[in-house]
Amino acid sequence: MQAITVENLSKTFRVKRKEKGMRGSIKAILHPQTEEIRAVNGVSFSVDEGEMLAFIGPNGAGKSTTIKMLTGILYPDGGRVEVLGIDPMKKRKQLAYRIGTVFGQKEQLWTHLTPYDNFRFFGAIYDLSERETEERIAELSERFELNAFIDTPVRNLSLGQRIRCEIVASLIHKPKVLFLDEPTIGLDPVVKENVRELIKQMNREEHTTIFLTSHDVGDIEKLCRRIIIVNDGQIVLDDSVERLKSHYQDKMAADVYARSQESGMAEKYEEAPNISLEEILVDIYRSEEDG
Amino acid sequence: MGKYGDKSVSMNIKGVRFRPWRKYAVIYRSVLMENLQYAANIAMGFFSYFVFIFIFIKLWGYMYRTPGELIAGYTKEQMIWYVMMTEMMFFGSNAASVAGEVARDIRSGNIAYLMNKPYHYTLYILSRYTGEWSIRLPMYALLAVVIGTVMVGPLPHFRLTAVPAMAVCVVLGLTIHAVFKLCISLFSFWIEDATPFQWLYDKLILVVGVMFPVEIFPKALQPLLKMTPIYTVCYGPAKLIVDFSPEKCLEILAAQILYLTVGCVLMSLIYRKGVRKLYVNGG
Repeated sequence: MQAITVENLSKTFRVKRKEKGMRGSIKAILHPQTEEIRAVNGVSFSVDEGEMLAFIGPNGAGKSTTIKMLTGILYPDGGRVEVLGIDPMKKRKQLAYRIGTVFGQKEQLWTHLTPYDNFRFFGAIYDLSERETEERIAELSERFELNAFIDTPVRNLSLGQRIRCEIVASLIHKPKVLFLDEPTIGLDPVVKENVRELIKQMNREEHTTIFLTSHDVGDIEKLCRRIIIVNDGQIVLDDSVERLKSHYQDKMAADVYARSQESGMAEKYEEAPNISLEEILVDIYRSEEDG
Repeated sequence: MGKYGDKSVSMNIKGVRFRPWRKYAVIYRSVLMENLQYAANIAMGFFSYFVFIFIFIKLWGYMYRTPGELIAGYTKEQMIWYVMMTEMMFFGSNAASVAGEVARDIRSGNIAYLMNKPYHYTLYILSRYTGEWSIRLPMYALLAVVIGTVMVGPLPHFRLTAVPAMAVCVVLGLTIHAVFKLCISLFSFWIEDATPFQWLYDKLILVVGVMFPVEIFPKALQPLLKMTPIYTVCYGPAKLIVDFSPEKCLEILAAQILYLTVGCVLMSLIYRKGVRKLYVNGG
């Protein structure tokens, strides 16, 4: 069963252009110039229920735009999207009951309220009864270890504590799909690891589909089996993390072997250095940049 | 299968436990809780209000030379109470911050978080706004009554029994004001900054309806001014407080309902069109 289906998805933005300096500023008032930017260009993929997918790419590749179209925030110019069998453009509110979103660089919590009051607020927003909300708060606070600061106003929490609360707020209504846009940005390594563990646990226990975008290789390696790389609004790779690594390892080994043959040194095939996922991604991004 | 996500959808389709207004009531309650922590901060604005009113008391004191004199049909007491009531609505509603919040949400991209929740964004903003004035307005009303009673004297012919009708008109006036300001803010979907339009609207309301009643202006202009939102937002409710009559009350209420309906339809149309134009900064 597929949780997300995307076919030929496209989105173009019209962005203002201005020439340098004061002259450019005046010219921009008299003759405003715009430029079309193709943020997403004919993207197609599907995600199975319960799958954890890393949707990654360099800055400006079209990741966040895609997430925003999948959640019904942005309207696509072309193509078809279905999330849990719902068209986000036509039934955004209905879809909202079944998905959760965490944008690491944005806040959804009310900073002057405590996490507990925030969770009660979100429970009501998602039409949960008082009893359901209380049960869910108890369950998630236990799992995410929030009890020590659940009655402290959000503005007084550390970033790590706040992100944990942000995730809990997104999970209060037991969403079937969770969209995570750089959820661990700015967190220290220990907190990052905790957050990853919690996401994994939730996927395991509640069978939540995870759609992750992140620049953090640790997030991708530790959470996802499958990886989609986008650049310039197009998919450049859709494969399992395992296969991608093994393919690169083979490629690296072949390069080392070829070099050793050329130099006449008897270097062995097995002696090729291990390549990390980060190096692989840098290589892919660079080769995409070079065209 | 997670139980809540699926049940919520069926709840909406079948209407089993669907209470659409509950969530807006919760938003309202949350803003109340948030603002109650800052009641002392709100009280800091009392000084500005007092200075403003003090200037007007002195100004109208010079203008009215003899006791019982009428200017544009208002006695001195009525004129000062009129300004105190409109200023009370202006200071007590804080509509500027709500309108600014919408523009900021659109510009910063934070709207992405607010739009993908199962509520209507504009009603969310209006609930927030109502939560804000629910704290501020009673505080400013109390201050206005104290200043007015001590420095101007009680309002002649004031009917205590008419207070509920006056309160309804004030609340509707504040809501219409917010709806129109929200409509202007929603233009941020198309233009980068809707502040100049907000400024024009605010100044129009301030000069024509808040500082001076419509009757001060030339007769030829008055019918035109009474057709603008000024009549329903501040002039009407304040005029009702200083010179109440049931006929006037019904007339103002009818105009307010008409304006609110038109404003809400306009707001909904602008939002529906604008949301398709959304460009979220940073992706």
